[in-house]
Amino acid sequence: MAEKNTLKTYDINQYEVQKTNKVLKVLIYIGLVIWALIDLFPIYWMFTFSLKNNEEVYGANVMGLPKNWLWSNYEKALTTGNMPQYFLNSVIVTVAAIAISLIAALMATYALTRIVWKGREMMNAFFMLGITIPIHSSIVPIFITLSKLKVINSYWSLIIPYSAFSLAMAILICTGFMNDIPKDLDEAAYIDGCTLWQTFIKIIVPLMKPALATISIYTFLQCWNELMFANVFISKKALKTLPVGIQALSGQHTTDWGPIGAALVIATFPTLIVYIFMSKSIQESFIAGAVKG
Amino acid sequence: MKLKKIAALLLATTMALSCAACGSSNEGSGNNSSSNANNSSNSSNANTSTAKVDLKNEKASLEMWCIATESDSNRKSYELAIEEMKKEYPDITLNWEAFENQSYKTKIKAAMAADEVPDIFFTWSCAFLGDFVESGKVYCLDDAYQDYKSELPEVMMGNSTYNGKHYGVPLTMNIVGLFANMDLLKEAGYNEVPTTYDDLIKCCDALKAKNIIPFGCAGSETWCVTEYLEPVIEKTIGADTMNDIFLGKTTWDNADVAKAVDTFQSMVKAGYFDPNAVSLTNDEVKNNFMQGKYAFYQNGTWNCADFANDADFFKKVKVTEFPVIDSGKAKLGQLIGGPSDTLAVAASSKNAAVAAKYTFELGKRICHYGYLDGCGLPAWTPYGDTSSVNGLTQDVSKICNAANAYVLFGDTAMNADDAQKYLDYVAQVYGCKVDGAGFISGLKSEIR
Amino acid sequence: MKKNKSKILMVVLFLLPALLLFIGVLIAPIIMSVFYSFYDMKSISLKGADFIWFGNYKELFTSGSISFWKALGNSMLLAFLSVFLQLPLSLGLALMLGKGIKGERGFLSVYFMPVLISTVVIGQLWRKIYNPDYGILNAVLGLLGIADKMPTGGWLGNEKSALWCVFVPTLWQYVGYHMLLMYAGVRSVSPELREAAKLDGATDAQVDWYVVIPSIKPILRVSVIFAVTGSLKSFDLIYVLTNGGPFHATEVPSTLMINMLFERNRYGMGSTIAVMMITLCFAFAILISAAFKERENYGRKKHTEDI
Repeated sequence: MAEKNTLKTYDINQYEVQKTNKVLKVLIYIGLVIWALIDLFPIYWMFTFSLKNNEEVYGANVMGLPKNWLWSNYEKALTTGNMPQYFLNSVIVTVAAIAISLIAALMATYALTRIVWKGREMMNAFFMLGITIPIHSSIVPIFITLSKLKVINSYWSLIIPYSAFSLAMAILICTGFMNDIPKDLDEAAYIDGCTLWQTFIKIIVPLMKPALATISIYTFLQCWNELMFANVFISKKALKTLPVGIQALSGQHTTDWGPIGAALVIATFPTLIVYIFMSKSIQESFIAGAVKG
Repeated sequence: MKLKKIAALLLATTMALSCAACGSSNEGSGNNSSSNANNSSNSSNANTSTAKVDLKNEKASLEMWCIATESDSNRKSYELAIEEMKKEYPDITLNWEAFENQSYKTKIKAAMAADEVPDIFFTWSCAFLGDFVESGKVYCLDDAYQDYKSELPEVMMGNSTYNGKHYGVPLTMNIVGLFANMDLLKEAGYNEVPTTYDDLIKCCDALKAKNIIPFGCAGSETWCVTEYLEPVIEKTIGADTMNDIFLGKTTWDNADVAKAVDTFQSMVKAGYFDPNAVSLTNDEVKNNFMQGKYAFYQNGTWNCADFANDADFFKKVKVTEFPVIDSGKAKLGQLIGGPSDTLAVAASSKNAAVAAKYTFELGKRICHYGYLDGCGLPAWTPYGDTSSVNGLTQDVSKICNAANAYVLFGDTAMNADDAQKYLDYVAQVYGCKVDGAGFISGLKSEIR
Repeated sequence: MKKNKSKILMVVLFLLPALLLFIGVLIAPIIMSVFYSFYDMKSISLKGADFIWFGNYKELFTSGSISFWKALGNSMLLAFLSVFLQLPLSLGLALMLGKGIKGERGFLSVYFMPVLISTVVIGQLWRKIYNPDYGILNAVLGLLGIADKMPTGGWLGNEKSALWCVFVPTLWQYVGYHMLLMYAGVRSVSPELREAAKLDGATDAQVDWYVVIPSIKPILRVSVIFAVTGSLKSFDLIYVLTNGGPFHATEVPSTLMINMLFERNRYGMGSTIAVMMITLCFAFAILISAAFKERENYGRKKHTEDI
């Protein structure tokens, strides 16, 4: 029964019966390929128009590869838009938010699952409310609070809300992973004279490594995209994040498709390249989150 | 020669603008509209006024937000002006950030809420700035203005004057112009832009017969629809009535407005407007116009700069004003527009007095370079050699020369809540969801 | 006794970072919003604001010009479409992939790709795809011989098509997300079970329907919850694509709220909408926590009888 919560897949191909009939198989392939094309085509198109001039985009060559590869579009996106800086900022904010929500979630989950105390169920339910609170609904109060703390216009003004809004999901995932760690382990440590804190640091945290990847992915998906907070809380150009940069650039060059395309590609491809190299582990960590949650 | 013309322009503008001053709509209206042109000779006087700040002796670091992003037509004038200021006042450092128009509105309002406004900020005059003034967030510029009365006519300050106090430094002023692609008009057999409404309609039909779309109007940005609708209303009901409605002196319950709205809608229904443009942005529509997709494009005269930068297109384009529809109530020379782009100083600024003075100096230069670039007409008295100003902008100044009344853009004149309701109804008119009667009855009941 | 006290201290210590973040950033703003929602805030500060009790709520529910009901209906419709179009599509793909197809990994990787793209990028990309003059959608339809199918006003400009056109990119992005979750479930179904069913003479479809789908119910539930709450929270994509237009056809509560706050300067009303959104989400949260509790208790019984 316990296997149900862990990620266990079977090698289906060793079972003869699983082999379905030919016609069905062809149909399945057609279906799968069509959806793969639907997924890939817009990305391909984005890449091609990032290298075209308006003449080609506007009709001369809508779908094909660009006739002369206009790398100057990238130059424009990089210089006027300052995309690398925005990308770096997004990475900094996201990584910090992941780190903070991870630490806070690990500690809280430990208290919620490993220490018996009155009201822990209540507390858990309280945290779970956070999963559904829409981040935009609190933009004005958070802005006023953060500006009183004098952190507006710094990375912290994004890191703090992002990690807070990722916290509930992180606790949920942590709970799943921590439940899989046998109780006997920390009981043994306790008998050996470890304090709760020592047990936590020495026993639990090292065993929670798999949760790190899973939480990172879910927090990444939440923070990497966020537009409104980043737009309102950050004014310094040097601190703007990717979504804000893209939105601004697109607002400025609405009719100049090439540089927008280039900016979109610059914002997208690094992530996709990392993903291609790590797709298996990313997918598995992602799945783990759902199964554990 | 040139100077004379400009003096004439300014005089005309001064007279015409005097009834457009909106900042004072709540109280003390009219006071600021009396032009202080004769005060301007007292510039020697100004030097002795109290609270003197000499920028040369000041050491400060100021922050500014504006919307002159890299692709904005005003960008160059900001850069040149700031460069010049740096040379002139090396001890004052200015850190400035430019934001995209739409997100700037969000930003500046949130910043106001938290007293996180930079020392100097860009704002639209009238209601947009008025909301901030009302909540005490804007520094009063009366003292600093004393030194600039000779260069910046009082009447140009009208839209940023509240209860008789000045809160903003205007940069450029713009009107709505009817831009025409003369090549396309020729194809339809017109060598000149039609000067009467009936002719214009005939011209549209001729264009349609040649498969040319007469008008392009961006539906996804409702302010672009007002650029078409407001002149139609003005040329039907007259500038005075329209000002009264915009400034809340009388209600929207006006049968002539309904008639004007129906007129506009009949043009939409007749297929004079590009149906695809409903989901486009203004930049996309403007680009279509420059590509020769539309015969006419009615929008702000700040576009002159962009048109002038495209040498091929510049040869084809002409600017006029929308023809009169009801000659009993309206006449030529009644325009939509006025000084709207404004710089203001935050009340929370630690160096407010320095910032105020700096803003006037900076505003003067931005206005100067902006005028040279064709971003609009100068709110300040022009200085230096202005003969390089493009022909289109010069035509605009000719139109303004002959102007006798201005009505400020509706969404600038009204407070934010009313302006949004107004825009909502304008969008519905463009989409043919309400007719003229629905428009006036809706606005009458919704706008308090 | 002493031990008990130190235990409480430890609990507090362990919870402190999470509680600080949670209360400071999530709970306090909600309380502030509730407070603001009782005021008619003409400007940005509470100075000079009138306390009007439930005036904002009354206006929100009754005013025709604030299209709150329309916005609510739209987000419900989006949630409905997510559950009944997006999830079946994801399930179909997951079942097909789960059959042990060659190139399984490749397909999986491709399907998950859009999930990793920033929503703003997706919004801007789809704006270009939908462009009435130069967009790729019209070009593709032209190739298929069904050009001129574009509704008047353009894909995003037509009232009837706009909401669908906003939904399609969501579908495009998140099918891979749900597919991967479901695929994991499908893969964890024991092949013996399938084999047994097949030996009993069940067709592929029957195996999927009677064996696989029932055994991945927990995952389906997670997907439904994510899809519904995701739709209620959706903002960025709509903001980029249409900002609620044309004529509120794609308005959802979050775009309406941003409009109230930053376009109309109605901070009290904006807060009222925020409160309504949170209330709605709480209603769903109760449903969700009920659903999760069932699973959680199940897990806890297994692992932690007692300390």
